[in-house]
Amino acid sequence: MDPRESFTIAARSIRSHKLRSALTVIGVVIGIASVVAFATFGASVESEIVGSISDSGANNVYVLGQPADEEGFEQALQPVFTEYDIARLSEIPGVEAVIPRGSIPANSVTHRGETVSIQGATATTPAAVTNETLVAGRSFRSGADETVLNRAAAETTFEGNVTVGDEITVRRTDETWNLTVVGVVNGTAGELPVGNFGPQPQFYVPADPYYQAVVESPGANARQRAYPQLTVVAVPAETLAVTERVETYLREESDARHLAPSGVDLVARTSGDFAEQISDVIQQITRFVTGIAVIALVVGAIGIANIMLVSVTERTREIGIMKAVGARNRDVMELFLLEATLLGAVGAVLGLPLGLAVGWAATRYAEVGFAFAPYWSALAVLVGVLVGVVAGLYPAWRAARVDPIDALRYE
Amino acid sequence: MGQADADDVVTLTDVRKTYDLGGTVQALGGVSLSLPRGSYTAVMGPSGSGKSTLLNLVGGLDTPSEGRVTVGGRDLSTATEAERAAIRGSRVGFVFQTFNLMPRLTAVENVAMPLVFDGWDRSRRRERARELLSEVGLGNRLDHKPTELSGGQRQRVAIARALAPDPELILADEPTGNVDTETGERIMGLLGDLHADGHTILLVTHERRIAERAERIVHVRDGVVERTEELID
Repeated sequence: MDPRESFTIAARSIRSHKLRSALTVIGVVIGIASVVAFATFGASVESEIVGSISDSGANNVYVLGQPADEEGFEQALQPVFTEYDIARLSEIPGVEAVIPRGSIPANSVTHRGETVSIQGATATTPAAVTNETLVAGRSFRSGADETVLNRAAAETTFEGNVTVGDEITVRRTDETWNLTVVGVVNGTAGELPVGNFGPQPQFYVPADPYYQAVVESPGANARQRAYPQLTVVAVPAETLAVTERVETYLREESDARHLAPSGVDLVARTSGDFAEQISDVIQQITRFVTGIAVIALVVGAIGIANIMLVSVTERTREIGIMKAVGARNRDVMELFLLEATLLGAVGAVLGLPLGLAVGWAATRYAEVGFAFAPYWSALAVLVGVLVGVVAGLYPAWRAARVDPIDALRYE
Repeated sequence: MGQADADDVVTLTDVRKTYDLGGTVQALGGVSLSLPRGSYTAVMGPSGSGKSTLLNLVGGLDTPSEGRVTVGGRDLSTATEAERAAIRGSRVGFVFQTFNLMPRLTAVENVAMPLVFDGWDRSRRRERARELLSEVGLGNRLDHKPTELSGGQRQRVAIARALAPDPELILADEPTGNVDTETGERIMGLLGDLHADGHTILLVTHERRIAERAERIVHVRDGVVERTEELID
């Protein structure tokens, strides 16, 4: 039958029951809006985090030990990368620097008589502090009683700000260090991207003399410092090639391959790998949460089905009349299906902007950039239409099967 | 009667109809009848005699359990649902006792509705509907909804609707049953005019006075034709 006429009839029947049509549509709006909101928020968080990872050191190759049965960021903490390994890695073509990183347990830090407890300090080399990350001062020197703080440590840990030139005292179980603050940084080179999210206070100290994890290096035949993690800074254009070379070295020549306990794999990861893994995790969470929102959409669909069944019953006589004047079962089916589809489509068209608005508000609240995915818009409308079609199928089929003789007798 | 004639609009050949309502109920028990083109036939009988079933079969709303029903040469007993719908929409026009207008549609839209299913385009549908409404004297009620019309006016809309696809046959089921006597007279006058214009009419009624407006009366009782009475004007 004439599609325009079908549309007119369906629209008129929706309009003739304004309140209940509106309530039904609201059900779909809520469903579509929650799906869009969660999906948008997830996509925004993902793009924010992935963006920040990619920004920070795309040319960093992170070398670490990883339990063989783990994916993601699980990191073995045994110090297995020796100074011999660091020296050998530095000789690999395309490598600009190798920055080790180890943690030193500590109990507290005192600044101008104020003492706060800490987890520990981070031991690294002066190269970790670069001009790009320095906010004030300079890097520490190896062998000196100096320290560099990140902004969280300098600005929020103590009542008063810690400034360059101040003295701090770090207490460990068996010793006390008096250190001079020589620099404040906003992150350090070669930091694992996963560590960046929360602004945790960090105290950086030179590995020499403060880092004391020492092992027997098979390569150097001497006792050397060993670290749980290294960052190889590559010439940007060669990052991938360097990653492969580093992996080959780890597998075939490193001290670490001897020192790593069984069940720990030595891996070289780029920030792209991390971004990918984080994306996977966020996408899984987003899918899960969006899946829950889909429940709201299903409820909306049931609302449509319910109201359409009521409508079929109410209009039994009209169906009979239409059949008496020549409507085929198909025409009747089409009309009711169209009506349900319209309800779904209107719900989708209204739910989409609402969902985007809620998603946007959530990104403001979480302080991440809003990522608008245009295909979500199309998908939302499509899903709304589909919801209408699916919800309308059974009622429409019931309508099509109405016996005109009974229907015309129906009061 | 019962002999197939090329110029018969409708022929029923030994038509039986049984319903399964717990037990088997026989509504029609072997009816043969033919309606020549341009004829005006009244089917009369008490309620439960099977006259409505007969009308439903001829109108393609129902299918016979046995026997053949042909309308315009088309055998309805072998027609698919869609084919019967097409016959209802284009070859047959129904006029019901309770009018059966679509409540949300205007007079013009009601009259144009069969043409929607018959595939006419919009402007032609409207034009045809306006013409017909003017013919039945409702040229000034085109955009009124059924609730804004009197019983007699509604039945005239229904008659205009029945005429819309220019059907070969008009089926009227107690068309005066829901209107007062004077309005009923006018409705019957309108049907008489249609007959005079060459339309074939099958009227179902239980009132002798109404049945007498036809050319002949087929008396139905207990699902069979009791007798046929030819009326001379």
